[in-house]
Amino acid sequence: MGPTSRNHKSSQKDVAPNEAKPPRYPQRNRSITASASASAFASPAVANSRVAKERPSSSTAGEGEPQETVLKLPSIPTLPARMAKLVPLEGLGCEAAVGSLTPSREREYKVTNKHTEGRRPVYAIVFNFLDVRYYDIFATACGPRLSTYRCLMNGKFALLQSYLDDDMNESFFTVSWACDIDGNPLLVAAGSTGIIRVINCATEKIYKSLVGHGGSVNEIKSQPSNPSLIISASKDESIKLWNVQTGILILVFGGVGGHRHEVLGVDFHTSDIYRFLSCGMDNTVRIWSMKEFWEYVEKSYSWTDATSKFPTKFVQFPVLCAEIHSNYVDCTKWLGDFVLSKSVENEILLWESITKEENPGEGHIDVLQKYPVPECNIWFMKFSCDFHHNQLAIGNRDGKVYVWKVQTSPPVLIARLNNPQVKSAIRQTAVSFDGSTILACTEDGNIWRWDEVDHPTAPVPSKKQK
Amino acid sequence: MAGDSRNEPMFCEEGSSESGYVLCVIDSLKKKITSDRFVYIQKRVEENSIKLSPITLHSHNLSKNRQTSTSNSTDLVSNLLTKRKEDALCAVNSRESSPDESEGANCQDECSSTVIVGGNLSARNSVRPIRLPEVATLPPYTTWIFLDRNQRMQEDQSVLGRRRIYYDTNCGEALICSDSEDEAVEDEEEKKEFKDSEDCIIRMTIQECGMSDAVLETLARDIERAPDDIKARYEILQGEKPEGSSKKVSELNVKMEDVYGDKDLDAALDSFDNLFCRRCLVFDCKLHGCSQDLVFPTEKQAPLCSSDEGTPCGIHCYKLVSKPDAIMEIDSHLLVDVEEPTSDNLKDQIGSNKKKLGSSGQKTKSQQSESSSTARVSSESSESEVQLLSNKSPQHSPGLSKNKLGAKGGIKKSTNRRIAERILMSVKKGQQEMSPDSNSIVNGCHWPRDMKLRSDTRSGIKDSVVSSQCNSPSTRSFRKKGTLQMENNSSFVDAQSDSMEDTNNEHSATDGCDSSRKEECVDESICRQEAHGRSWKVIEQGLLLKGLEIFGKNSCLIARNLLGGMKTCTDVFQYMNYIENSSASGALSGVDSLVKGYMKGNELRTRSRFVRRRGRVRRLKYTWKTAGYHFIRKRITERKDQPCRQYTPCGCQSACGKQCPCLTNGTCCEKYCGCPKMCKNRFRGCHCAKSQCRSRQCPCFAADRECDPDVCRNCWVGCGDGTLGVPNQRGDNYECRNMKLLLKQQQRVLLGRSDVSGWGAFLKNSVGKHEYLGEYTGELISHKEADKRGKIYDRENSSFLFNLNNEYVLDAYRMGDKLKFANHSPDPNCYAKVIMVAGDHRVGIFAKERISAGEELFYDYRYEPDRAPAWARKPEGPGAKDDAQPSTGRAKKLAH
Repeated sequence: MGPTSRNHKSSQKDVAPNEAKPPRYPQRNRSITASASASAFASPAVANSRVAKERPSSSTAGEGEPQETVLKLPSIPTLPARMAKLVPLEGLGCEAAVGSLTPSREREYKVTNKHTEGRRPVYAIVFNFLDVRYYDIFATACGPRLSTYRCLMNGKFALLQSYLDDDMNESFFTVSWACDIDGNPLLVAAGSTGIIRVINCATEKIYKSLVGHGGSVNEIKSQPSNPSLIISASKDESIKLWNVQTGILILVFGGVGGHRHEVLGVDFHTSDIYRFLSCGMDNTVRIWSMKEFWEYVEKSYSWTDATSKFPTKFVQFPVLCAEIHSNYVDCTKWLGDFVLSKSVENEILLWESITKEENPGEGHIDVLQKYPVPECNIWFMKFSCDFHHNQLAIGNRDGKVYVWKVQTSPPVLIARLNNPQVKSAIRQTAVSFDGSTILACTEDGNIWRWDEVDHPTAPVPSKKQK
Repeated sequence: MAGDSRNEPMFCEEGSSESGYVLCVIDSLKKKITSDRFVYIQKRVEENSIKLSPITLHSHNLSKNRQTSTSNSTDLVSNLLTKRKEDALCAVNSRESSPDESEGANCQDECSSTVIVGGNLSARNSVRPIRLPEVATLPPYTTWIFLDRNQRMQEDQSVLGRRRIYYDTNCGEALICSDSEDEAVEDEEEKKEFKDSEDCIIRMTIQECGMSDAVLETLARDIERAPDDIKARYEILQGEKPEGSSKKVSELNVKMEDVYGDKDLDAALDSFDNLFCRRCLVFDCKLHGCSQDLVFPTEKQAPLCSSDEGTPCGIHCYKLVSKPDAIMEIDSHLLVDVEEPTSDNLKDQIGSNKKKLGSSGQKTKSQQSESSSTARVSSESSESEVQLLSNKSPQHSPGLSKNKLGAKGGIKKSTNRRIAERILMSVKKGQQEMSPDSNSIVNGCHWPRDMKLRSDTRSGIKDSVVSSQCNSPSTRSFRKKGTLQMENNSSFVDAQSDSMEDTNNEHSATDGCDSSRKEECVDESICRQEAHGRSWKVIEQGLLLKGLEIFGKNSCLIARNLLGGMKTCTDVFQYMNYIENSSASGALSGVDSLVKGYMKGNELRTRSRFVRRRGRVRRLKYTWKTAGYHFIRKRITERKDQPCRQYTPCGCQSACGKQCPCLTNGTCCEKYCGCPKMCKNRFRGCHCAKSQCRSRQCPCFAADRECDPDVCRNCWVGCGDGTLGVPNQRGDNYECRNMKLLLKQQQRVLLGRSDVSGWGAFLKNSVGKHEYLGEYTGELISHKEADKRGKIYDRENSSFLFNLNNEYVLDAYRMGDKLKFANHSPDPNCYAKVIMVAGDHRVGIFAKERISAGEELFYDYRYEPDRAPAWARKPEGPGAKDDAQPSTGRAKKLAH
């Protein structure tokens, strides 16, 4: 049973007995109990990974990895300069602007719909912002099921597609939209088994299954300007960069300077194609750069050989490691060059890193703003923003959604969405393109929809309605 | 302030009013800072949002483009998502008037309170779930880095003192794996730095209220620091202002100038000493770390002999300048006899000098005439006409030169200065120009005067000329030694002359042994040496010292390898001679005498070692089966069941006694120790011949050590095709088989899905019994750290800890190699063994039996019975050993 509060035992009551997230494996690596798990598995596409490699029925098959060859020098990557380890400054002159919890009622929302997705918790809900045609389409992940919906006028949903994993033990934790190079919409999802499923929504067929993570995958994000690149954050303490077009594992971010515990969240920078954020159970937020390895990214598009032969690289050191939280950091997001990050501490922080130009290893974190979110002290509670990053929505343990205006100082609480019916924890929210519709998915398997009151005739992108 | 003073009489307590005022000031300052901060935040956020808007616009455009690009390539029908989207809309539209609407209206009316029943999905039934075929999952693992050798844990990898939060699976309680006490202590120790805001408050408040104890007191209370700190800080702040950045720049310049400058060799070598691992011979060794204790071996290696005697090393080779060494030696023998009188002469001169100096006032006339003549000479000589000078020299009768020496004392300052300046100039010139032939003689001409000048100083006339001249340290040292040295000077000069004879040989050959000429030569040589001593920087001398250590007295090699670009071979040669010859006088400055000391000592040492070496072999044979070996063997058997002891080289400079850290620690001395090879505590390696190093007969094998080609007599390994030379045929044509870890002769291991659980390690090729398979590498962590980590790993039921020795545990969790995935079995086909390889303990995995290709590898983790996880417990039976010790730590693997 995973998502539990540090100081709140009772929150577990809400959690269905079998459906806690993420379930802990009995990781009995050393077990002598013969659990015949050696089933030859055939996957549509098995991605290579450094250690993860299936053994065909006889174990004689050689492994392409350099680590086992004796003569070849081991490919320990050249370690760049040590990362900057930054902590926030405290005290006078370093205060953050804290938002007030009194709603400004700038926009009024009301519940317009509820849809029961299943009995298992819905962990992810996300709008497709990659293609203007699909701005009103969102995807959800509930247990082994992935669904795509359309937000209709008058608060209705229309189920478009539904995908069900044959492995009923699968529980998808995250779902993300991506595109192949032709622009076809892809749905990328992963969860407890650690297998990343890439589904082509245009053909409604599984496109690739990316195998490589040694633990559950907690979040997947796609690169906004190259949407066939995705990064996945995993329990195996690494972040992996994949090319979903070719199914290649390009880079692995982890190792000496990597996360020391499960990685819970990642986010690509909105404009800098090289940088991304990651956060995890080791209470840190890290900024990584793949600038030096960009040639591999380019190579991955034109790779025609077996995916396992691709020279996957390890990136061991992030650019920066920020120790601003004292508990699990489960969601983080870029806001321009600023970073929004949320820990299990009832607030979201907006901060920037200030490093000295001559010595990037030194500096500090400047926490600019705080967005309080009461009763939000259990982990795996994610927030989301609208397309323009103007407003942010986050649910809490009691089923309330706080909608913050992000880019004002001090922050303004636009609205607090509550409904007595919504009782269980809200795991993830989705804000439509213009912020007029807010969706929330809950622990008890429901999707709730709020629409802006004076927006009755114009649900998500009105201009696109034909 | 005015108001404050007015109010003063009204208040009884002056302090309180003032502190009240100060508080007020502080308060307003704080408010200002806070408001400034918010303004700043606002500004930053605004800037950011301005930056962000074009970015989102750009991605919006991108998403628009995607629409257009795909609508061209794929039509609507083939894109099912688009199709379904349209379908959904149609479905809704068709049912527009159906119950949906009323429901919707219902919602709108009671937006926040009413119950919304059920889903109002349209077209729900038309969607049938599309099945995703099952894909076999990987066994779980944590990302790890491949290591080909063990690594010591880096500081920041420690889990000690780090908060690590775990939520319990059942009750949701957090388990924080850290010592809260440790953290608290650390926090307190940390000295808080002044922040900008505090600086601002301090500066402004003191400016406003003036500096007084009360103000400081209040300030201190307010920002929670000691008043003294604040005062000091204020002074710093005041000081900082005017200088600003210019100071920094100048500092930087200074730094740039003397990267080497006056640094001596030790300082320059500091980073080398700290970063270079003398055991692994690499920089920044990951295994032994930086800043190891330096261990200097007692026994120095014999200096390298140069193979190419006779062939000059380059255009500046001393061999080109001078005649070969042999001649020089003969010369020096001859010279001893020849120069005996000269030195007497000099002594006389000096004696007379002293007398003359005592009554210098009477000698003014002759002095004047002399001074003019010297001036002339100097001007002429500065023309650097060798011929001229040699013509000139006969003119000076011995008496004259004697006079000259004595008379110098009274020369007018102005002349002196001029001469001195000229001399300095010419010295510089001489240093710059590299062709020694003509120059040296020019120098030689100048130096007599220089020497005389110095003798002036010694006799007590301290004028500015001399001080201006005394730039180089060596000159200074001469001066310090003062008059006493003067007496020595003659002998010193003698000694010098022979070294320099070679340069003068040509002249003396042509001119014959004219006594005055001789004297000039002597002078010349001294002064030339002076020039050398003077221009040798500290670092150069240090390098020379090292060079002597490495190459012996081979100026070619020293100059080429260590002093390239700084000194030529000739320079080195001459300097060495200078040092050597000046030994008798002891008239050397610090470093010089050090160099000298080394040169002397080295000779002695080489000789004595030669003797010793002869003895050693014999004794080694003798002791082989006696004391040393048995002592160690006994220890081996005694300690069989105890963890191995970590070895750290001792720095004993004589045979290790009771204080030797190795001995007290219970380890043998190794080749990395400083102690002589004779040390009784040394492990002496084996003498085995013919593949004998695989049984307990071999002392190395018996001691769980690998043979070391540096130590063992017959153990060696051939490499290459023999073109690089084969080592001496010690023993038979046999290669030692007990060096596999050292040589990394491991088997190919494959990683795959275990037949038992999770991952497993498999063997690619079949091997025989006792074959070495590979090394279990990992992070070297302390036992304390291991217990902490073990706590975490036990929660995950997956531990990669391996007990290495009394100090370290191997952790392969994040770093290691594939053998870390070999599973446990009570009936294994492999075994692990901790082996000492070149002073380090390493874990080798060996085949317990014949293993055929493709078999999975298992070994017994040998967890201590009460700490073992359930799956690793031995099945209860009569065979179960019961050697349980009281255990305190976490489950760690053990070797056999």
